[in-house]
Amino acid sequence: MACSQGKGPEALAVNQRIDVSDTPVLVQESRYPPGDLALWIFILAELLVFALFFIAYAFTRVKHVELFNQYQATLDRNSALANTLALITASYLVVRAVAAVREGDGQRCARWLWGAVAMGGMFLLIKGGEYAHHLAAGINLSTNTFYMFYLSLTFFHFMHVILGMLILVVLAVKAGQGRYGTADHVDIESGASYWHMVDLVWLVLFPLVYVMR
Amino acid sequence: MQYQSQAVAKPYFVAAIGLFVGQILFGLIIGLQYVVGDFLFPEIPFNVARMVHTNLLIVWLLFGFMGASYYLVPEESERELFSPKLAIITFWVFLVAGALTVLGYLLVPYATLAEMTGNELLPTMGREFLEQPTITKIGIVLVALSFVFNIGMTILSGRKTVVSLVLLIGLVGLAVFFLFSFYNPDNLVKDKFYWWWVVHLWVEGVWELILGSILAFVLIKTTGVDREVIEKWLYVIIAMTLITGIIGTGHHYYWIGAPDYWQWWGSVFSALEPIPFFMMTVFAFNMVNRRRRNHPNKATVLWALGTAVMAFLGAGVWGFLHTLSPVNYYTHGSQITAAHGHMAFYGAYVMIVLTMISYAMPMLRGRKAASSNRSQVLEMWSFWLMTVSMVFITLFLTGAGILQVYLQRYGADPQPFMVVQDKIALFYWMREVSGVVFLIGLIAYIASFFVGGSDPEATLEPVEAQA
Amino acid sequence: MSQAFTKAMARNIFYGGSVFFLLLFLALTFDTESALPGRDNRENITETVAHGKRLWEENNCIGCHTLLGEGAYYAPELGNAYIRLGGKEGIKGFIMSRPKDGIPGRRSMPQFNFNDEQLEALAEFLKYVSEINTANWPPNIQG
Repeated sequence: MACSQGKGPEALAVNQRIDVSDTPVLVQESRYPPGDLALWIFILAELLVFALFFIAYAFTRVKHVELFNQYQATLDRNSALANTLALITASYLVVRAVAAVREGDGQRCARWLWGAVAMGGMFLLIKGGEYAHHLAAGINLSTNTFYMFYLSLTFFHFMHVILGMLILVVLAVKAGQGRYGTADHVDIESGASYWHMVDLVWLVLFPLVYVMR
Repeated sequence: MQYQSQAVAKPYFVAAIGLFVGQILFGLIIGLQYVVGDFLFPEIPFNVARMVHTNLLIVWLLFGFMGASYYLVPEESERELFSPKLAIITFWVFLVAGALTVLGYLLVPYATLAEMTGNELLPTMGREFLEQPTITKIGIVLVALSFVFNIGMTILSGRKTVVSLVLLIGLVGLAVFFLFSFYNPDNLVKDKFYWWWVVHLWVEGVWELILGSILAFVLIKTTGVDREVIEKWLYVIIAMTLITGIIGTGHHYYWIGAPDYWQWWGSVFSALEPIPFFMMTVFAFNMVNRRRRNHPNKATVLWALGTAVMAFLGAGVWGFLHTLSPVNYYTHGSQITAAHGHMAFYGAYVMIVLTMISYAMPMLRGRKAASSNRSQVLEMWSFWLMTVSMVFITLFLTGAGILQVYLQRYGADPQPFMVVQDKIALFYWMREVSGVVFLIGLIAYIASFFVGGSDPEATLEPVEAQA
Repeated sequence: MSQAFTKAMARNIFYGGSVFFLLLFLALTFDTESALPGRDNRENITETVAHGKRLWEENNCIGCHTLLGEGAYYAPELGNAYIRLGGKEGIKGFIMSRPKDGIPGRRSMPQFNFNDEQLEALAEFLKYVSEINTANWPPNIQG
């Protein structure tokens, strides 16, 4: 987009427009936060919802400590730990992907992204296994307050992992097609930001729901 | 007016205003019945006058949405309406069906109307806002299909803009969710659960898309701000609407027999439902501040800004006040609900329709861009009279509601409903007085169409030089 | 000058977000449907109760009353009327005793001239409603 700026003694007239469209853009303008601002508004909204749920969980737990402790013990902490490792690894792979595309290597970027998707898939499998186990035991949202929170929080997060993976898949495909490079990779940064949010939420959820007594 | 076929919007707008008057007259009747209990009893019992009041509201807003669509879609799509003739036929079908239905409500006992219209074949009557006989509902579906078809064909074969696409999604959603009004199981909990798929997913869902797209259209036209900017914000606003409002449906599921977890899901998400309305307010004021022209239709700009503010206050703030389940436990089904309902409907939907009429009517009547100064001044007076009196209606009902909740639901010695109603009568009288002022505002509004007709139109000012 | 955010991203968030939450809502609805049998007192929906619901609708009782807090706010909540009015007989007695020309100066309920069978159906319906698990709503007997 063309814009005009005062530049000293030869400053242009205030309204004069310069056409810079045929000047090659070598490096993507570095902005903070990276990625599209609209997505950041969305990320903040998501974090707000999760925060509200976490606070609700905390307040409710205080009122039902016995119940929460009792049923928290029925959760599989090892699976949750494995899931934590899967998500952190995925985030690491996403970081590598962003670095790769900043250097202009779309192919490498795509490979890192596919790796992250695979890690995400592992999360879904492990969590899905836990859900199957609960379902077989007849547990659902109405079983008791602890399970209501546990299932709601983790399922809501689960759906976000799916959405995050979908975003990474789309980005991986496009990166593999050479659609992103040093000069333009805002979408990769946006998708990476979203994925990191999903990871961050789990990093709060895991200790809060699975561990803290 | 850029396209001839935009003219079909005019009868829709005229019908909308006419039905609006009917709605307010019946509103005054039921407002009076609140304090003079046997007023018009038994010829027009409260429930009959109420269903006329609410049904007229919904129908005139639908006429308004249709008129708005018929006006803006040809302009956005850069082609004539697919079938102006179909639009006119649809208009008369809808108007006659609506009139007959209202006459049915007034002239025969409701149970008799049910029998006469064959309700037992597919019983859909007798639920709030959906009192229409089943055959009327079928008529509404046909009208909606014809309308969406006409508008859809126009958009799909012309230029597709974000404004028209969002409008179309909203209108299709409106039509689809109305179908749930045909589902009326014996199971009261399921009846209520899916009833809200019509009502909530309309007014806190797809109707907001319609509102957003009309507001965006009017702002593009009156401020001259780049369409790209306005359409981008429209997407953000409607995204937040559905992200918060779909699960926000849960705030109607607290006490109707649905599982308890809705108290959590509904509270969290519906607490966020004010966000899109807040964004709309910031967006509207921002666009007007960044305007690149001073549009001669100042009344329209006033309506547009007013819509954003009142929608935020009525739907957003007042909604928030009673949306959290621990609060709602005490206020559910009280005058707090009525307070919110009035300001929300007025602020969001009445005002956006009046905004669009304000923008389009001068051109539908042959002006280039706006009506005369005299006409606009009277119109702006009507804006203030109606808006301020609605604020007072809301405040008085809120007062009534707080007292009602305290006396009937909260204290150690809860008092019976009727006893409490007597105690809050003063609030109802004050509400009724405010209602009369509202009617005066509405009369002024109608008068504004009849004054200054032969005066020259307000002038188009030159584009301001940008700094 | 590059944009802080693009229309395309806003559009993607709209479509993605809407589909996401629509799916989540459907999932919660599915769970609700499976949880309802334990809460909605459906085992007591007899022919008579269903008839009572139909009468409730055909006479537009919701036009003045609330039922589980929903409806018009002119007349009392009837979800717990079975308890408040003293059972079926209390309900029938109240309906039967409405003066046809109303009570002078007071909010008045029409006289519907129901026969015994209809009164029984309405009373049964209101009994059924009073036994639905509404999470302890209303807060007290007054509704």
